[in-house]
Amino acid sequence: MIDTWERDVPVYDVPIWTRPFAVLCGLSVVALGLVTYRELAGLGPASGMNDAYAWGIWKTFNTMVLTGLGSGAFSIGIAAWLFKRSRLHVVMRTALLTSFLAYFSGLMLLGVDVGRPWNFYWVFTPWRWNLHSPLLEVAVCMPAYAMIPLLLENVPPVLDWVHAHRPQYRPVVETAERIMVRFYPFIVGLAYLLPAMHQSSLGALMLLGGDRVHPLWQTPWLPLLYVWAAGFMGFSCVAGTILFCSLAWKRPIDLDVLTEMNRITAGLIGSWLAFRVADLLFSGKLGLAFAFNIFAGLFWVEVIFLGVAILMLLDSAKKRDARLMFHGHLVAAVGGMLYRFDPTTLAFQPRAGAFYFPTPVELLISVGFVSIAIAAFMYVVKVLPILPAPTGLWYRMEKEHKWTQDREVGASFVAAD
Amino acid sequence: MALTRRDALIRLTAGTAGAVATGAASTAVLSHSAQAEERPAPPINAVAMLYDNTKCVGCQTCVAACADANKLGPNRKVDALYRTNRDLNWTTKNIIKLYKPADGKSYSYVKQQCMHCIDPACVAGCMFKGLRKDVKTGVVTWNAKVCVGCRYCEIACPYHIPKFQWEGFNPNIVKCEFCKERLAQGLQPACTSVCPTHAVIFGSREEMLAEAKRRIQESPGKYYQDRVYGEREGGGTQVLYLSKVPFANLGLPELPDESVPEKYLKWQKRVYSYLAVPAVLYASVVGVIRNTWKQHQEEMAEEEKQTGLRPQL
Repeated sequence: MIDTWERDVPVYDVPIWTRPFAVLCGLSVVALGLVTYRELAGLGPASGMNDAYAWGIWKTFNTMVLTGLGSGAFSIGIAAWLFKRSRLHVVMRTALLTSFLAYFSGLMLLGVDVGRPWNFYWVFTPWRWNLHSPLLEVAVCMPAYAMIPLLLENVPPVLDWVHAHRPQYRPVVETAERIMVRFYPFIVGLAYLLPAMHQSSLGALMLLGGDRVHPLWQTPWLPLLYVWAAGFMGFSCVAGTILFCSLAWKRPIDLDVLTEMNRITAGLIGSWLAFRVADLLFSGKLGLAFAFNIFAGLFWVEVIFLGVAILMLLDSAKKRDARLMFHGHLVAAVGGMLYRFDPTTLAFQPRAGAFYFPTPVELLISVGFVSIAIAAFMYVVKVLPILPAPTGLWYRMEKEHKWTQDREVGASFVAAD
Repeated sequence: MALTRRDALIRLTAGTAGAVATGAASTAVLSHSAQAEERPAPPINAVAMLYDNTKCVGCQTCVAACADANKLGPNRKVDALYRTNRDLNWTTKNIIKLYKPADGKSYSYVKQQCMHCIDPACVAGCMFKGLRKDVKTGVVTWNAKVCVGCRYCEIACPYHIPKFQWEGFNPNIVKCEFCKERLAQGLQPACTSVCPTHAVIFGSREEMLAEAKRRIQESPGKYYQDRVYGEREGGGTQVLYLSKVPFANLGLPELPDESVPEKYLKWQKRVYSYLAVPAVLYASVVGVIRNTWKQHQEEMAEEEKQTGLRPQL
């Protein structure tokens, strides 16, 4: 079999109930239980947040960092649709699913994090909007993105499933597809405009933090650096996820597509690093990076992670080593996550003596909401055609009666099309 | 599909045209909004407080009066004693603190409450105008009906004033609202009305500023840098301070004349004014995608012919 990804194929030969899946479900249930406690007791008893560190990991990690990882649909989509890297279309479904789940989980947790979520309905009343607030931008754009373009772009795999498994609804599927095809460019356009806006506004959030954010991170370019970081984090998340799934479930790996992804990721990281250092240099703050303190240390950890990631990504592409590629994307993702986390928490100094560390309840809820996203991903890729594979794998799946339950139906549907 | 010269030309032209259009439109909007920006001025009827720590004896009458007027209960979790909190919190809108240096130099009390900035960072950050600045009095007020409890105001305020109720299922944001109910009845705020030494007084911002300057003129050198804190700091505030010790020691940060929103949200405001930049961006993006979309559909049809399988979008 030639390992060229041509088509998305369900992971049909692995059972849904596996031990990791059960553990993730368990963590999710625990988190949902603890959310009840948080809602009744309030944020103080449940979390380590306080008036100095008013934002905890639910916002800073689960939303501000993890939606960066969930920007695959944004950055890979731009490469595929705007820069015509047509080979990347085959990984788009994985990108769309990871993005939707990352956003969904983050947004749900935001609902837990805010104190008066019932007032969020004002988001539907534009005359209430404070257009100058970066947070308003995030609050409007992020749910709009997740619930309109991202959700719609995730519909085609479901339609595929209905078409194959519920033949009686095929006319409905076909109508739905005709409508989608008609409006697709407009939906896809939104899918790049909205994330470009809110991923940059996530950076702009910290601008109002002013002096609380250490000068190594506080810069007027924070919005640009945030959205750019989302660019390579999205690539790394999707490439890393596909590599991990392919290695774990022994599916064919298309090293050409991955090499292309590696090169783009490395380019994005390289230009990002250059921009970040140049900004520090021209604003005269580069000296702070050579101070002997924790902030300079954090800065160098980010730089080293991302620098090493570039080397690993390029080297693994040259050696065509899938395992090394995975590790490269992992290191890149961690580097990007650190950058997006630091100005919100580790390099955020509200005042002398202020302290924040998440409580066990807070951590369990945070982990649980990530688990919900991962468990959903594991379930969906086993049911729907999401992960890329050679067309041969699709034929084999059909032969093993795994996609269309009824072989007759399957045969007729191939012929009818 | 191979890239023909014609395609390449079309693409190049479309791309350039889009970029030029985006650039031109953004420049127009940005320069227009840049002209429209000017430093916010205090409202005409701006109310104000003047606190002079050379007169304050630290009796905390104002703290008790504030709690009574605002119906703030005791917070025994923070301290076993009634209303002796160490800092502002969700049961304390006003507090007197003591600054006492270890080397025995001049000590001083300081009163802390919302500064009612002329261009408040909390209001600039608030999503649905849950915090807003009254157009007449300039008082920064909180509205329970729209506040989502996101606590962005706590991140943004340069004075660390808004506090969140860390208990219960229906938490509030708590901060001094200049006793807005009392003002509406024609009364002074509770704290200024009870101060036995007139260390904190109430009036219009103009009067208070004039009074502060008069005191400085009367005894030059008595006050730190002969300066009224709040006249210009952070864009100016409606609570003014006179102090015998450096302001920074009292928890009043040395801020530039620019307000926090003015300093940090300049570009955010420009880029999003009239949503023109996003609109132009969207139009250009859709233009390019419609072109790609045609090619992609052709590729999908080709694949369907070769494999006999339903094309995947």
